[in-house]
Amino acid sequence: MRTNLRNALAAFVLLTLCFAGHLRAETKQPAKMKASAVEVKMIPSDELTLPPEFRVSLYENLIEQLRKRAVFPSVYRDGDRNAGNAADLITLECTVVKFKKGNETLRQVTMVAGATSMTLRCEFTDKNGNSLLVRDITGKVRFFGGNLKATYDFAKKTAKVAEENFSSASRRS
Amino acid sequence: MISTVRVALIAITLSFCFSVSRAQQAQTETGAVQLIGFAGLKENTKGRLTVINGSLHFTYSKGYVDVCAASIEDVVTGKDSQRLIGGTFGTVASIAAPYGSGSALPFFRKKVDILTIQYRDADGGLHGAIFTMPRGQADPIKKELLAQGAHTSEPILADLIKNLSDSREEKR
Repeated sequence: MRTNLRNALAAFVLLTLCFAGHLRAETKQPAKMKASAVEVKMIPSDELTLPPEFRVSLYENLIEQLRKRAVFPSVYRDGDRNAGNAADLITLECTVVKFKKGNETLRQVTMVAGATSMTLRCEFTDKNGNSLLVRDITGKVRFFGGNLKATYDFAKKTAKVAEENFSSASRRS
Repeated sequence: MISTVRVALIAITLSFCFSVSRAQQAQTETGAVQLIGFAGLKENTKGRLTVINGSLHFTYSKGYVDVCAASIEDVVTGKDSQRLIGGTFGTVASIAAPYGSGSALPFFRKKVDILTIQYRDADGGLHGAIFTMPRGQADPIKKELLAQGAHTSEPILADLIKNLSDSREEKR
């Protein structure tokens, strides 16, 4: 009787473990896309009114964060002639969807109002112009720091999205 | 005779030196903070900005960076304000000051000019750099850059007004 109970318990534990493993396999992310280089395009000026310092800060922060995360072995700037020779090159283009310039003083005094926020549509395309991934990413600065800090927040999130979806052959997973 | 020639030569040399120094003084030089952009430089690097020999020259404590004016595709100026007591000290002070007096600190602000440039490197790659400087200093730098071959998407306001008044006169 006791042996039967022990066997039933062991079977139950085994079944639970199998089921948990199955669930984990299901929630596993899809395979990452391969890319060994990325060319970051400058944010177009003809979109929503975005001050030039924000455009430049977004662009420079994006390049810095993508290099820092080391998702791609090579990160090229907009118009770099060397990008043409790179195999598995993808292009990152961001367009402004929403932009609200906050107020640093108001932010620090009230701790509630005056946040700077921006939403950009980031599109990763391959060499033939086929879209690989499109995401709307938001950058914000709520409490401390200047308005330009929102561009840093945006760049960090974009680099994370790139890390989650792309990998290079030379990079260890 | 020889001494007269010597004196004349010295005088010419001195006058030449004087005129060169006057010409260098005429160039705009201003204290600036590089917010982001130049490779190898940390954010918020303080230095001096000037336009010299057809280049934008930024000197900081550990060296200098030159950007050829002809390679600059866009120079834009803007206006903003900054905290007078900023950085980590300013943040800590605004939180930790007794009886909530720190909440007054953000009100002490200074007005600054912003100079944003976009330029191409030797491989054609686009770079951007942002500087802040005391109010009224960005426009002279922009003017000098434009005179030495840089381009802009936003003409200087004075030129814009002049063009507008010229066109009005032509219509009359």
